[in-house]
Amino acid sequence: MWDFLIPLFAATVQSGTPVLYATLGEMMTEKGGVLNLGVEGMMSIAALAAFWTSFTTGSPWLGFMAGGIAGMVFGGLHAFVCVTCLGNQVVSGLALTIFGVGLTHFLGVPYVGLAAPGFNPFDFPVLSQIPVLGEIFFKHDMLVYFSFVLPVLFWFFFRRTSFGLHVAATGEMPAAAAAAGLKPVVLRYFAVLAGGFMIGLGGAYLSLAYTHLWTNGLSGGRGWIAVALVIFAFWRPGRAVAGAYLFGGVMAFQLRLQAVGTNLPSSLLLMLPYLLTILVLILSAWRGRRIDAPAALGTNIEPEG
Amino acid sequence: MTELHFTRPVPVRAVPEGTRPVVSLKGITKRFGKVLANDSISLDVYPGRIKALLGENGAGKSTMMSMLAGRYKPDEGTIEIDGQSVRFTSSKDAIAAGIGMVYQNFMLVDSMTVAENVLLGQEGSLFINPAEMEKRVGELARRYSLDIDPGARIADLSMGERQLVEILKLLYRESRILIFDEPTAVLTPEETGNLFKALWNMTEQGKSIIFISHKLEEVIALADEIAILRRGRIEGELDPSLIESKAELASRMVGKEVLLEVNREPVETGRTVLEIKSLTGLGLVDVDLTVKRGEIVALVGVAGNGQKPLVEAVTGLTRPPVDTVFIMGHPWRKFFAESTWNRSMCYIPEDRLGLATLRNQNLVDNLLLTTRKGFAKGLWLDKKRAARDTRELIEKFDIRPGRIHALAWQLSGGNLQKTVLARELYRQPRFIVAEQPTQGLDVSATEEVWNRLLEARSMAGVLLVTGDLNEALQLADRIAVIYRGQILGVLDTADADTPSKIGPLMAGVID
Repeated sequence: MWDFLIPLFAATVQSGTPVLYATLGEMMTEKGGVLNLGVEGMMSIAALAAFWTSFTTGSPWLGFMAGGIAGMVFGGLHAFVCVTCLGNQVVSGLALTIFGVGLTHFLGVPYVGLAAPGFNPFDFPVLSQIPVLGEIFFKHDMLVYFSFVLPVLFWFFFRRTSFGLHVAATGEMPAAAAAAGLKPVVLRYFAVLAGGFMIGLGGAYLSLAYTHLWTNGLSGGRGWIAVALVIFAFWRPGRAVAGAYLFGGVMAFQLRLQAVGTNLPSSLLLMLPYLLTILVLILSAWRGRRIDAPAALGTNIEPEG
Repeated sequence: MTELHFTRPVPVRAVPEGTRPVVSLKGITKRFGKVLANDSISLDVYPGRIKALLGENGAGKSTMMSMLAGRYKPDEGTIEIDGQSVRFTSSKDAIAAGIGMVYQNFMLVDSMTVAENVLLGQEGSLFINPAEMEKRVGELARRYSLDIDPGARIADLSMGERQLVEILKLLYRESRILIFDEPTAVLTPEETGNLFKALWNMTEQGKSIIFISHKLEEVIALADEIAILRRGRIEGELDPSLIESKAELASRMVGKEVLLEVNREPVETGRTVLEIKSLTGLGLVDVDLTVKRGEIVALVGVAGNGQKPLVEAVTGLTRPPVDTVFIMGHPWRKFFAESTWNRSMCYIPEDRLGLATLRNQNLVDNLLLTTRKGFAKGLWLDKKRAARDTRELIEKFDIRPGRIHALAWQLSGGNLQKTVLARELYRQPRFIVAEQPTQGLDVSATEEVWNRLLEARSMAGVLLVTGDLNEALQLADRIAVIYRGQILGVLDTADADTPSKIGPLMAGVID
């Protein structure tokens, strides 16, 4: 039994990691009041940017940063359309996804099947010696370890820094933030850019750690999962971790089931995480609990007058 | 009668001889287009005192305070703080000068705590500690004896508590002059009492307060000085301890002088178009009122005394109790179930750019808003005919700019009101509800609206809700005075002593 479960849980952590990066990125964006449905496209293009940089420079760390920057550039585009031009956030986000996925396919053609230097798993000193937990959590690559710290940083940013409070106020009520002498437009740009960076890191993980090869369709719907997970997590980083690993677990589980060979169609298993989200959403609405979405999420800041 | 949970600790607080006013407005004038919102206003506010600004809606109170808070710039005149002339270019400048304003709609983040809201933007360091923030805000609240839990989330607070948070925000910024714009509108009587105690406390600690209101008893109970604002001018400054009666205050607030006269020929009255029978509920108490075709019945009173619920019940926005409201002889329910687009009831709301029109639509679409059934051809709308009729109405009512593609928000207040009037009269109504139809309009537009309403009597009965006494006296055949949801009297305009009777009734005084 343990021989089956421990590798499964270890795989869970690995496949949950890119989703965790993207979920936290989208959560950051939404905390600032901007809905970004471009996550899928941003992850795609970031995966390619990371792969290309690592491929040409030979440095996976540069590649990882390049992925983040690619996400940030796309985020900047979204922020310009929504925050500066007051465009529709849903439309802009969808356009970003279509554009990002298409561009990735187009630019990625010469690299299909090629390998780039990436991140390799190593045993984390001391902690990997812990029985069971060490096996599950501390025999991964550096990016996974970094993703353990990220939710804590995220929490700290919003709960223990004044700047985080300002960003959250902008997502809740830009008018109140403005009345307090803050600059909601600047804060929203920050949220979208910082969130875009994290989403980009999630994309970079796919091409540098999850695989070291370039293939088409690497993001495979993970961006959409991240968007759903933000709702599932009630905009809280701790629940984002749980959600990401839940999705990661189901993904890892269905891969294993397919490998073992089962009568269940894999598409049905793939559907499971989404079904879960819907159930959780229904449940939370049904219990009358107000889902803690930022109050101004999806609405633009209208200039005065 | 007295629901106010507040008595001032000392009856009179005289300003010591030689005290310099902390704020001094000198000859402030502000125009919006042709409308003169503030006309050479001069006003002094002293440290540690409560100055009340009393005036009807549209008297110019908010414009005046917005200039003091740095939101508008005066066209003429100067503002002096501590004897120094200042020019505010933004609300930031005003805040820096120590002026803080509590607006009617609170600027608070619901999901955050009291402490977070108070300190937002003023945390003082990058890293914050919720416990420490709550301690700081708690101390501030105690200093001014404000009863509030700094760790509570705004979403869980009552309106009165939210207002305290807004006050704390100003106190934390060390504002010295606090402006309250109709602060009691959202409060229960008990919360009002608590607020007044808090305000009094603050003045004892040297803060100056400007209290904007149209509620007479509150102003008399709280203020050290009362300034009456009417039609953009300071009508007079009073000492509340010398006020003989609320009636006197009420009549000074609404004024008696005739600014504009129209010729009103009586029209023969016809069938009853509105009948309200002992309506109790919705904030109204035992209201009886009838309107017949051919007459204008004015409903007057100080704003907020039940005019709104009455209009909403009549126009179908809220449901009145069964068998209290009858329109064209039909019970409310039946009338609204069967009402047609024309030869029926029409409503000219106070909120011209919100309820009456769509701000981003052109005049044709705004015409269709209430008349579309008249332009329907099966599933389709006859837009060509609508455009033609709009053009005719623009010409007939002299609406400027004379383009059918102009959007509602591009029109001035007077032209927008003419548009609404043109549309509603196009429906050939039998019963018109007109709510503050000339508020904020200049003299010529007012005259135009008045004449249209008088003409409309030939086909309809009119319920005119107005805060302008002169308007009521000029247009109405009968005037119903409402006070605290009750109609205290229905007066005949033809009686010579009617004008003098209205003031006391508006203040709730019955002989």
